[in-house]
Amino acid sequence: MTKTKLLVVDDAPFVLKALRDTLEAHGYEVHEASNGEEAIVRYSEVNPDVVLMDILMPKMDGISAIRNIVSNDPDAKIIAVTAVGKRGLEAECVDAGASGFILKPFKTRDLLVTIGRLSNYEGN
Amino acid sequence: MKGIEILRAYQEEIIEAIPSTIIILDAGLKILYANRNFYVKSGKKEREVVGEKLERVFSSTLIQKTRIDEKIRQVFDTGVPFSGEQLRYPGGLFFFYKIHPLKEVDLSIRRVMLFMEDITELTRLEEELHDSYVKLENAYAELKDEDEAKSDFISAASHELRTPLTVINTYLEMFEDGMLGDIDDKQYEKLAIIRSQTDQIIRLVGDMLDTLRLDSRKFKIQKYPIKLEEIAKTAVDEVSKLADIKEHTISLRINGKLHQIEGDAQRIKQVFNNLLTNAVKYTPNKGRIEVDVKEDKKRLLVSISDTGIGIPEKEHEKIFQKFYTVGGNSLMQESDRMGLGLTIAKGIVEAHGGRIWVKSDGEGKGSIFYFTLPTYD
Repeated sequence: MTKTKLLVVDDAPFVLKALRDTLEAHGYEVHEASNGEEAIVRYSEVNPDVVLMDILMPKMDGISAIRNIVSNDPDAKIIAVTAVGKRGLEAECVDAGASGFILKPFKTRDLLVTIGRLSNYEGN
Repeated sequence: MKGIEILRAYQEEIIEAIPSTIIILDAGLKILYANRNFYVKSGKKEREVVGEKLERVFSSTLIQKTRIDEKIRQVFDTGVPFSGEQLRYPGGLFFFYKIHPLKEVDLSIRRVMLFMEDITELTRLEEELHDSYVKLENAYAELKDEDEAKSDFISAASHELRTPLTVINTYLEMFEDGMLGDIDDKQYEKLAIIRSQTDQIIRLVGDMLDTLRLDSRKFKIQKYPIKLEEIAKTAVDEVSKLADIKEHTISLRINGKLHQIEGDAQRIKQVFNNLLTNAVKYTPNKGRIEVDVKEDKKRLLVSISDTGIGIPEKEHEKIFQKFYTVGGNSLMQESDRMGLGLTIAKGIVEAHGGRIWVKSDGEGKGSIFYFTLPTYD
C-alpha cells in the first residue's frame, strides 16, 4: 500500500519540522515548501494527496497559492492551517478553494481526521 | 381671575421682580422707566436714571461699540423689533439685549422697551463647555489611536504566540502518545504539568482575541439548533478532572425536558467552562458545585452555584468587566486567566440574546451565577 503524500507549506522552520515528525510518525509521506511560490512548484512535482497550507507567508501568501493550485487542479485537496484567528478568514480560504480549515495550535487528532477525510474521499 | 387678567392685576410686581433688565425709552432716547433689576445691576439710583438721556446713563464706549442708540432710532422709524445681540461690557460682563416697539392704539410708536439680560455666567459656562468638549474630543482621538495600536499589538502577539505553541503542542502530543519512546511515571507526571500549562497559554491566546472581538463588537456567532443539556454534560465532565484535584463534588441537574436553543455550541460550552473553572478556582477544597438547567418562559435558565469565597455585592457588576478578578487583584494570580473569562461569557450570552448575572450573599457565602438563553421554536 502506498503512503498518502502530503505537502506541508509553512514559513516557520520549526512548524515544518514538527509537522514532518508527527505526520511521518503517523505513516504519511511528507514534502515541504516554505512559501506560496514554492508550494505551487512542489505541488506539480510531487502531486500530493493533501496540502497543508499556512496563510501568512512571505513571497506569496497561502490564499493566492490555494487559488493558483486549485485553478490548475480543481480536485486539489488543501487544508488551510493558520495562526490567524481573523473572522471571515475561513470563508476566504474556502472561497479560494480550500477543503478544510484548521486553526493553530491544533490537536494532532483533529488534523489527522481532516487529512483522513480528504484523502479517503479521493480514494473512493 | 384667570389668564391675562392675572397678569394685569400683578403686572407691576411681576416686572419689578423679573431677573432681567427692562428699560422704557421715548423717541428722544430719554429713559422713562427702569425696573428694579436695572438698579440692582448698575448700582445707580432712580433719580440718576429716570428722565435722563440714554448716553448719560450708559457709558459712551458701550454706546459707540454697540450703536445701541442707532438701533433704538431704527425701531422707532420702522416699527420692527430689533431681535437681539450679545454685547460685551468692559470688565468681562456679557449682556444680551433686545429692543421692542411699544405700539399705541393708533399704531404709532412713541416708546420702546429695551430688554437686557446678564449672560456673563452663561457665556462663561458656554466657553468652559466648549473647552471641555475640545479637550474631550482630543482625548478621545488619542484614546482611539491607542486602542487601535493596542488591538493591533494583541492581534500580532496572538499570532506570534500561536506559531511556537503549535510546535510545542505537536511535540508534546508525540511524547504523550509514546511516539518518542516510553515514558516513566515520574516523567509522565511532569509532562502532565507541561500539558496543563500549555493548554492554559493556548486558552489565554484565544481569550485575548475574543476580548478584542468583544471590544470591536465584531463578536458574531453562528447559530444552529443545539441541545443545551448535552453541552452542559460535556462541560461538567471536562471540569470534573480539575474539580477532583480540589476534592470538590460537582453535580448536574436537568429539570424536565428542554426545548432546543439556537446557538453556537462551542461558544456556549466556553460559557460553561469559564463559569465552572471559576467555581472550582474560587472554592476552597472539598467544596460543592451544582449546575442546574431548567426551562422557564421560552428561555433556558442555567445556574451554577458554589460554596466558594463569594462576591461582595458592590462587585456584582464589576466582575463582568475586563481584567477584573474577585478581591480587586487584577494581576495574574496563580492559575488565573487575566480576568477575561466572565467578560467573554457575558459577550457570548448577550450575543445569543440572553442575560448573565450573579447572586452572592457576600464573602465566604458562595456564589450563584445565572445565565439565560432564549429557546428556539
